[in-house]
Amino acid sequence: MPPHPYPYSEPRMFLQQLVNGVTLGSTYSLIAIGFTLVLGLLNMLNIAHGDIFMFGAFLGLSLAMLGIPLYLALILAMLGAGILAIIIERLCFRPLRKAHFLMPLLSTIAFGILLQNVATQIWGSEPSRYPQTTEVAQFQLGPVLVSSIDILIVAISIFLMLGIDQFVRRTRFGRAMRATSEKAQTASLLGVDINRVIIFTFFTSGALAGVAGVLTALVYLQITPFIGIRQGLIGMVAMVIGGVGNLRGAMIGGLMIGIIEVMNDAYFTASYRDIILFGLFLIFIVFKPEGLFGKKEP
Amino acid sequence: MRRRKSITITLFVFVLAYVLAIHPVPVAQALEGPEIKIGVAVCITGHGANVGKREAIGAQAAVDVINAQGGVNGVPLKLYIEDTASNPQEAVNAVRKLAGDHKVLGIVGPHYSSVGETTFPLGNQLRIIQIAVASSKPGLAAANRPYAFRNTLTEDKIAGAVVREFKKRYGIQKVAIITDIKDAVSRSVGTKVLPPAFKGQGIEVMTGDKPVTYQTNDTQFRAQITKLKAMNPDGVGMGALGPDALNIITEARRQGMKQPFMSTAPIMEGEVPELGGKAVLGTFSGTIWHLSMVTPASKKFVEAYKNRAKTMYTSKYTETPDYYPVNAYDAVFMIVEGIKAMCVSNSAGDLQMDRDKLMYYMAALRDFNGVASRGFNCVGDGVKDVHVFEIKGGHWVPIKK
Repeated sequence: MPPHPYPYSEPRMFLQQLVNGVTLGSTYSLIAIGFTLVLGLLNMLNIAHGDIFMFGAFLGLSLAMLGIPLYLALILAMLGAGILAIIIERLCFRPLRKAHFLMPLLSTIAFGILLQNVATQIWGSEPSRYPQTTEVAQFQLGPVLVSSIDILIVAISIFLMLGIDQFVRRTRFGRAMRATSEKAQTASLLGVDINRVIIFTFFTSGALAGVAGVLTALVYLQITPFIGIRQGLIGMVAMVIGGVGNLRGAMIGGLMIGIIEVMNDAYFTASYRDIILFGLFLIFIVFKPEGLFGKKEP
Repeated sequence: MRRRKSITITLFVFVLAYVLAIHPVPVAQALEGPEIKIGVAVCITGHGANVGKREAIGAQAAVDVINAQGGVNGVPLKLYIEDTASNPQEAVNAVRKLAGDHKVLGIVGPHYSSVGETTFPLGNQLRIIQIAVASSKPGLAAANRPYAFRNTLTEDKIAGAVVREFKKRYGIQKVAIITDIKDAVSRSVGTKVLPPAFKGQGIEVMTGDKPVTYQTNDTQFRAQITKLKAMNPDGVGMGALGPDALNIITEARRQGMKQPFMSTAPIMEGEVPELGGKAVLGTFSGTIWHLSMVTPASKKFVEAYKNRAKTMYTSKYTETPDYYPVNAYDAVFMIVEGIKAMCVSNSAGDLQMDRDKLMYYMAALRDFNGVASRGFNCVGDGVKDVHVFEIKGGHWVPIKK
């Protein structure tokens, strides 16, 4: 077998792939942050998180189809996904706070499957696409080609990530969140309204997943009711790699996975992708459960 | 005297047999029972829900046409539809129910090769025919003789015709191949069907035996397109399903690739021309039937389908037919022809014999005159004509040879 007739290691292609990886990774980061917010606060995993992502994407799509401008559709989808997350809290978490610790996990699995099937009823099982409203503008930045959507997705992601990071670290409510996550009972005794904190956290987590859904569908143009399953799993991997409960860890974990995924597809074969990602997941869980950036902090 | 009589009778029988042999008089075979039962085992739920519903509508459309003409020798057809839920375990239950509970004469379906891998052996065990309406994994029907049939054309036959036209139009000398590695049909197109089809026309395959890969329903194809762009081929061959093909081509145009793309039948579902806009113009594919074909049989099918789709599984995904419901429609007509030609009695006591008669009929069927079906070859795979198409002005348009 002769060597490949084109240069694999061309630095320019590598740089372009890096840009591809960062764009992909920033949506993963948004999902991972949502996961880590809820897990850090309640010590409970919301398995339906990936399906909130899916729901947000479809909501954005339906709104865009109605002729609502994109930025407004994005905001409304964000709100809708946030409200859905609150519903999940009220339905799957709050009644089960005193139940066996596995119960909320199971209830969210059920809710996730429910959502997938409801979405199939509404939007069909075949992939749906955003209308191609505008031609995508391309910019040549040095050796790499960047599209206007790339810039939009990375900018929105960074803005939201930094915003939440600062909110949790700097504000009074952020302090209440951190206190609740540290020891809910003590925080409650000290006057923190735990239920409000939990509802706000769920809302934020859902809203981030919703934005990620719309952005993903915008860049990659298609969504199905089953898209949330893999995205949710990937978000979980990103969270574990970054360190459970660690916001900045989740951001970096998401970016890392985006880059690994793209580099794998570019230099190996797509069939190795999940072996590598989930192999990494397992290695982290077994040998470095605290992740790259230590244990929970918010 | 007695001897003369018996000679006369023998002679009479011979003459009668001879006359009947050259002039088969359509003797109205007395069919028993209030109805003729035909089974349909397709995916009404799960991943293939939309296409499965279209197939069920296609089969029902055939029943509508036949019953409107008075059924089969006066006995109406009745369809029994069971859901395979797009998965082999459920499909086994569906086939058992059709054969055991509903006691149908033959089964139209399943859709997927993976489903056929479990239901075909079961069909042999239960001794009942299944006529799959999709499933193009090589060798599947051959491995499940005698009751398994597939009223589809395997992709290699389609690919050869498409590559020939693709080369002629664009002067292709070297191509790159991008393929799905998860979906069985696409992977087989990308790794087994396209490479020999290109090489057979003297086209260099730049990706060699390492095509650029992705997985079904991937949300993004950026890495893959960056890689294809770096190779700079004259054209790109895809082992892909429609929705993925659409995203691949869209991403290629976004990254500034201008080369034409081609693939086989699976990309003709999923509204690639309608959704892809300018990006997908000039994309080539081939198939056995398409909505744009206007033969009388085709028109009749489309009319019957659209009528039925108004009341059955109504949704925007079932409004218009693609080639899968055609296969189901033709399959019902094949069974009906079989019932007539083999003098199926349709009485409860003859059920197994009737089922066997249909199997023998299908095994020898070579000259069927369906919308897009000619019958089966000796291993049970469909015999059909190939039509090559290109995307022009938001539609698949047949290429005039």
